[in-house]
Amino acid sequence: MILRPSDMGASAIARARTLSPGSFGAPFLQRVQRWLLGGAFFILTAYCLVLFEMSPLRLWDGFGKLVQVVGQMFPPTAKGAALDYAYAMLQTVAMAFLGTVIAAVLAVPLGFACARNMVPRWIVRFVFRRSSDVLRGVDQLVWALIFVRAVGLGPLAGILAIIIADTGTLAKLYSEAIENIDRKAIEGVRASGADPVQTMRFGVLPQVLPIMLSNVLYIFESNTRSATILGIVGAGGIGFFLADRIRTMLWEEACFILLMILATVYVIDWMSQRLRARITGAESTPALH
Amino acid sequence: MLEINAVRKTFGKVDALKSVSLTIPEGQMVGIIGRSGAGKSTLLRMINRLAEPTSGQISWNGQAVSGLRGRELLRWRARCAMIFQQFNLVPRLDVITNVLLGRISRHGTLPSLVKRFTEQERAMAVLALERLDCAQLALQRAETLSGGQQQRVAIARALMQEPDVVLADEPIASLDPRSAIQVMQALRAINREDGITVICNLHTLDTARQYCDRIVGIAAGAVLFDGLPSELSPEMVRRIYGVEGDDASFDESATSTSAGVLVQPVAQFAA
Repeated sequence: MILRPSDMGASAIARARTLSPGSFGAPFLQRVQRWLLGGAFFILTAYCLVLFEMSPLRLWDGFGKLVQVVGQMFPPTAKGAALDYAYAMLQTVAMAFLGTVIAAVLAVPLGFACARNMVPRWIVRFVFRRSSDVLRGVDQLVWALIFVRAVGLGPLAGILAIIIADTGTLAKLYSEAIENIDRKAIEGVRASGADPVQTMRFGVLPQVLPIMLSNVLYIFESNTRSATILGIVGAGGIGFFLADRIRTMLWEEACFILLMILATVYVIDWMSQRLRARITGAESTPALH
Repeated sequence: MLEINAVRKTFGKVDALKSVSLTIPEGQMVGIIGRSGAGKSTLLRMINRLAEPTSGQISWNGQAVSGLRGRELLRWRARCAMIFQQFNLVPRLDVITNVLLGRISRHGTLPSLVKRFTEQERAMAVLALERLDCAQLALQRAETLSGGQQQRVAIARALMQEPDVVLADEPIASLDPRSAIQVMQALRAINREDGITVICNLHTLDTARQYCDRIVGIAAGAVLFDGLPSELSPEMVRRIYGVEGDDASFDESATSTSAGVLVQPVAQFAA
């Protein structure tokens, strides 16, 4: 009596349809809605392509010039300034490091204050959430421009920009991690008579700490990349040299700096990936075959 | 007929199974019992080829299963459907799609990616769910179902594969007693009514006795017992579950999941 598709005559299909109409596809209106949404999305994309004149011809044209520039980049040379560049590179990494560390610490109380399951009073949460949105909503680069005006050219402006923007980002990531924790452990700690702060320390922190550290490492990685840009607006580091060499069309030196940045980013990515795998105790998942 | 011939499996230096041979005729319902770690799961996984035997051969109706490659291997996996302890449904997909997944090995890769199933297959899926008393759940996400419902959906998915064999690896170990009975009855029904061979790993002896035609007892990677449920003596049960000879309090009920059975007082509290 095992069922096979060939046994599914008209009557069997009719019975199945009455049993569960939804199993034979979405209702008509829902399907129309899906098509309309898909169509709107397609039209919007096409409109943007036209608006920005993304014609294949223009792309091809630009590509030709790009090849020319890349040609002028070789061989990459430092022209005797290798030590200066290395020092500036180190400065960039140090900026990213210091900025990330301070932001990671500042974001902890803010993250707890933004989490629904930690702060039941919505108005308190609302204030903290919106203020972290302000920090995060303005880009790091814009903060850097503001701080260059306030504290002058140099790494301090860059570090401040990283601290402000990433405190907002990390608070958001922390609060999400805190909201997704397992309630059972908290209940267990609370049931043994712990006060609210003790509950956070022993019921919440052990669960979220690995996630927080992993987030911080990722932000650090991302900051070593974006700290280059901060230099371009005068907020210290290797970016200053890179912007200058590109402006004066010294392509061979620009290329040298770019390769140096790539190597640094690669090394830091690699180290933090290994660290992250250790912290989160990377689980092995079965292969797909 | 499923023939398992001198199959051995080693993990590093540990023998998980040492030379197991079994012949299982079509349409039989076999219960494999033994302690955790006795090698029961390894045996089932090797039949489905989720694990490879270190040596020995498994064949179905004379065709060697252990040598299959590529498409042939995927076809074989579809023919011996697997039921897992943790159900292994895709939690975010709705029930009907989970059940239709039982058909994907018959579709090309590309058409199946956009869920192109025929009307006949959809009807078949709904009727399979109805048979397992789950038709009203068809449009719910699998993760919203209770354990017993999920396991029955998993059986419906297995039926969609039109399997020759169903391999069930501790199918009721995570279920409450009532759901466990429903799931075991469903397995018994597909065995009786559809003639599907069912091989079922079980912790609990009373379940095996009640539902299976034949019981195979495995201990430390070797078959200790192979026969009718009525032939299984208390002495043999002790050997299969590795109980010391002087532990007189151990009997069959100690392997039962039903509450109220206290085997012996825990030492430190008794003292």
